[in-house]
Amino acid sequence: MKVHINRELCQGHGRCYALAPEVYDCDDDGYGIERFTDVPKQLEDNARRGANNCPEDAITIEES
Amino acid sequence: MSDNEAKTETGNQGLSDADPADVDGSPDALAMMGDPAMAACPQLMYKAMRDADPVTNVDLGEISMTMVWRHEDVIEVLRNPEVYSSREEAVEIGQKRPLIPLQIDPPDHAKFRKILDPLFSPKKVALLEDRTRALAADLIEKVVDDGTCNFDKAIAEPLPSTVFLELLGLPLERAAEFIALKDGIIRPQATADKTDTDVRDETGARIYEVLEAVVAERVENPQDDFLSGFLSSEVDGHRLTPDDVVDIGYLFFLAGLDTVTASLDCMISFLAQNPEQRQQLVDDPSRVNAVIEELLRFETPVTGVPRITSRDTELGGCPIKAGTTIMVMLGSANTDEEFWDGGDDVDFDREVNKHLAFGGGLHRCLGSHLARMELRVVLEEWHRRVPNYSIADGVELNYSAGLRQIDNLQLVW
Ligand code: HEM
Ligand code: SF4
Repeated sequence: MKVHINRELCQGHGRCYALAPEVYDCDDDGYGIERFTDVPKQLEDNARRGANNCPEDAITIEES
Repeated sequence: MSDNEAKTETGNQGLSDADPADVDGSPDALAMMGDPAMAACPQLMYKAMRDADPVTNVDLGEISMTMVWRHEDVIEVLRNPEVYSSREEAVEIGQKRPLIPLQIDPPDHAKFRKILDPLFSPKKVALLEDRTRALAADLIEKVVDDGTCNFDKAIAEPLPSTVFLELLGLPLERAAEFIALKDGIIRPQATADKTDTDVRDETGARIYEVLEAVVAERVENPQDDFLSGFLSSEVDGHRLTPDDVVDIGYLFFLAGLDTVTASLDCMISFLAQNPEQRQQLVDDPSRVNAVIEELLRFETPVTGVPRITSRDTELGGCPIKAGTTIMVMLGSANTDEEFWDGGDDVDFDREVNKHLAFGGGLHRCLGSHLARMELRVVLEEWHRRVPNYSIADGVELNYSAGLRQIDNLQLVW
């Protein structure tokens, strides 16, 4: 699975890194960053949870 | 619309107090907003408007605007700042220059946010948590043995005001004065010889004076506080002028105090009236974040945000002229059943919660991380000491419209 945050759309709500800190981190400005592009198998649910809760629909997930 | 349609599935979320029969005939948004029962349970009004007239033109001479109720349309407005501008004309709140960054459109908006975002990041906010916790504990300890308090006055108002004054580096001895000034803008009380607008403008002028004096002082004598931090930040060669810093400070007065107060009031009021749901939090305090996000969604303490159209456009099939004031109803978007599963049910286990209580798009609340920390700390410290409480008998809760503060939130335990 691949995960990508669109930097243009991300507005720093912080839902992704609050709900799935294993997959998402925040930068010094409070905007989301992906910890991986290829998500380890055991974290796939976490990745989806973060993406589903992004108010800006900024996170795309590519299921493998 | 029949009464039936206006009725929402009322579960245990306290919607039952409002009488949906008030919402008969063609719903009148302004009349409903003035109705105290609707202020307490606006979810009923939201639904009535979404069903009947989701893009509502309100024209009463002095007040003329278009109100937007559906989630889909709200998102459309928030994500298109070139059409739906935040410029100064969108709302009059005693300002003499555009408030920064609230009333700045792209591309300049990003310059200011680049300077401000790092100061309000989760990492920075974490540094304030211990101090905030001590303040909260102190306020709660003062009332805990009394068995009753007006939560709004005892906790919800003083806490964010103190955090905010300390943060900006304004003298705490002057807290009462600053709070009165903020109230003069948000809740101007007309007098015999002065209209609301006069009071608001005078108060505004006074806030500028106070801020100008403090900022001038910080230019001379920088301190370890936000105002000094603003003055010395630089991004891409862009530096804030003292006027910019005053304009930011003015907005913080309006954005950083009552919003947190209203959110705390709404949350404690809900939990006081829904003991089973409160028990879920008391039994498992680690659920506090889920409780906060769900109550931010359901209660939406800041019910709407203003915009103004930059050109003729169309929204939800409705033509809108350039220069129209738009009221974006976040609370309605946050409960729209077209978007949410069980939008009118409060469910702390909700899997998907991308609420818009902090707005959306590029004006997403700058203080959202700070606000979340304050809310969490208060809910934690409160429930640790007062796990069981209810609204005092005979109290008719008085929610203000727009910003849902409850000035008579009398609790007993
Ligand atoms: C739970 C409490 C709060 C709520 C519900 C809230 C809500 C909001 C909303 C809905 C907006 C969007 C306005 C728009 O789109 O026109 C906003 C913007 C803003 N808020 Fe908050 N707010 C809260 C707390 C705070 C705090 C504590 C601060 C601290 C300084 C703050 C500062 C701001 C600023 C500066 C903006 C303007 C951001 C911009 O235009 O880029 N807010 N807030
Ligand atoms: S939830 Fe979405 S908008 Fe918020 S930080 Fe994550 S990616 Fe950005």
